Amino acid sequence: MERPIIRYEKIDFLGEGQFATVYKAKDIKTDKIVAVKKIKIGSRFEAQDGINRTALREIKLLQELQHINLIGLLDVFGQKSNVSLVFDFMDTDLEIIVKDNNIVLTPGNVKAYMIMTLKGLEYLHQNWILHRDLKPNNLLINREGILKIGDFGLAKAFGSPTRINTHQVVTRWYRSPELLFGARQYGTGVDMWAIGCILAELLLRVPFLPGESDLDQLSRIFQVFGTPTEEVWPGMKSLTDYVKFKHFPAQSLRHIFSAASDDLIDLLETLLALYPPRRCDCTQALLMPYFSNKPPPTVGPKLPMPSNIPKLESEKPSLKRKLLDNLDGGSLAKKLQF
Amino acid sequence: MDDQACPRCKTTKYRNPSLKLMVNVCGHALCESCVDLLFLKGSGSCPECNVPLRRSNFRVQLFEDSMVEKEIDIRKRILKDFNKKEEDFTTLREYNDYLEDIESIIYNLVNNIDIINTNKRIDQYKKDNKELILKNKAKIGREELELEEILEIEKQMEDIRRAEVLRVEQETKKQKIREKEALIDELMFAEGDAKEILNTFSQNLASRQEEIVPILPKVTQFSSGVKFSRGSGQQGLPIIEEGPLYKYEPLAIPDRCGPDPPSLQDIVNNGYLKHVRAETETEKTGGYSSTLPCLRALQDALTGLYHSS
Repeated sequence: MERPIIRYEKIDFLGEGQFATVYKAKDIKTDKIVAVKKIKIGSRFEAQDGINRTALREIKLLQELQHINLIGLLDVFGQKSNVSLVFDFMDTDLEIIVKDNNIVLTPGNVKAYMIMTLKGLEYLHQNWILHRDLKPNNLLINREGILKIGDFGLAKAFGSPTRINTHQVVTRWYRSPELLFGARQYGTGVDMWAIGCILAELLLRVPFLPGESDLDQLSRIFQVFGTPTEEVWPGMKSLTDYVKFKHFPAQSLRHIFSAASDDLIDLLETLLALYPPRRCDCTQALLMPYFSNKPPPTVGPKLPMPSNIPKLESEKPSLKRKLLDNLDGGSLAKKLQF
Repeated sequence: MDDQACPRCKTTKYRNPSLKLMVNVCGHALCESCVDLLFLKGSGSCPECNVPLRRSNFRVQLFEDSMVEKEIDIRKRILKDFNKKEEDFTTLREYNDYLEDIESIIYNLVNNIDIINTNKRIDQYKKDNKELILKNKAKIGREELELEEILEIEKQMEDIRRAEVLRVEQETKKQKIREKEALIDELMFAEGDAKEILNTFSQNLASRQEEIVPILPKVTQFSSGVKFSRGSGQQGLPIIEEGPLYKYEPLAIPDRCGPDPPSLQDIVNNGYLKHVRAETETEKTGGYSSTLPCLRALQDALTGLYHSS
């Protein structure tokens, strides 16, 4: 067996999460830069169940998923009692871009980000998987301007008629109202709500619904969309954690997103519909006029990047390209002109 | 100064001249080695007042009286949120009242008077003025950036001026040496009277010195390297580049190795749902639908039917 420990050469420390440390490394075999996520062993109590649950989910699901807009799991290796996952290396994420005041996001940029996210999520949903932790921080972007959905630690298969799921998923600000009301059986709507919040955040450049507690989150949602009635959200009262809220009148999204175009407001409204069955799915969203209307989505290499990341030099044609062009005779006639 | 001592290990400045006292937000001092020892994990509590502290908040004690340190800490923290300016008030009187409020809050916190109520007051203020605080913070940030830029420009101009002066000095030195050499050469090889040669040379020198008016270093105001992008506050809008409009393309379905499963429409119209448990009201209201398991089960069942090993 190949000794994998030697295969990856640590370059840099990237960050530390609750369950793992992430390093930037070089794959010696292919000379590619990768991200190595080393799962923490944790205390003895946590370790008695075996390998960490989030890591297991990531390995289990990502192994079979292949899409340009999903983070690619390149390799998994063990070292003593540690498990490490090897991913595509991504330069930045959407959270950094949204927070960077030096970056201006054009409507074309926003559209490009949304298309890439929705395409990745469409593939995921088509394969019966819910991501359940969509947020700008988990939408990773590389310097070629390709967005990939990352962090599958909470992802899970859906569509089983008997399985009860937990409602304690998704970072609170992006959590949908049915989850906040304690729904145990849900569908793609939870991811679509998060997408809506992310789109709103791309427009506002601050989190759209930054709730301080689960109840505060709900009241913030209702302050914008109005407290739902039985007509708006049938059966709402049967949810386990249903609480009656003070009546808030609905606000017009147009007043909140004053610079957004009409087709964009339509998209936001369907993504952020309170009643989950009324929320659109990825395919429906991508078919909405917003995406096919002008302005066109920005092409990958022209998407903005934080200033500390060198841009890919796409303008300069590589030598190889030049040689190839010459082989075919190039685009110009080989005529000497005086 | 010699009676400075760490309250924990009792080391004094006399015994350990390199003793460095550190303080945290609570205002109690600790020596550097005690901080290292107690806050090995990054956080811990103050050995004197048991207030939970973070290691990163420790800093070197500048004033002998640790109360001063504490007040500086508190003042910094309070002024971060209490950042209203005179423009935000209609009358001077109101502004003064506001400033006095801040002082009394700080005084209370420093002297541990009515901490709970004071903290409540701060929280209330923060809640009431959330937007204004954020706005002023951004404003201050921008002002600081502009100041920084001005400083940078000044520094650059200073550098240029210094380089120019240095260059002129060197030039004159070289000139002098050259003249001396010329004089000696003349004295050695010329066939005239030595005194005359000396005279003409000194005359020449005097006349030339009049010519050399010290060139004042020209200061180029807009040298390269100064970032003007931020100073003006306006960034040129990025060019809106044309690209191809987006057109939806359905996802390529991988080879299922089996017959095509019925679509969602077929499932609803052709009565497939009769054989699946209908969703309950609670399930439906949470976004679950019985079409989901039906569709999934049919897909699962038909995939791989044609597969032969």
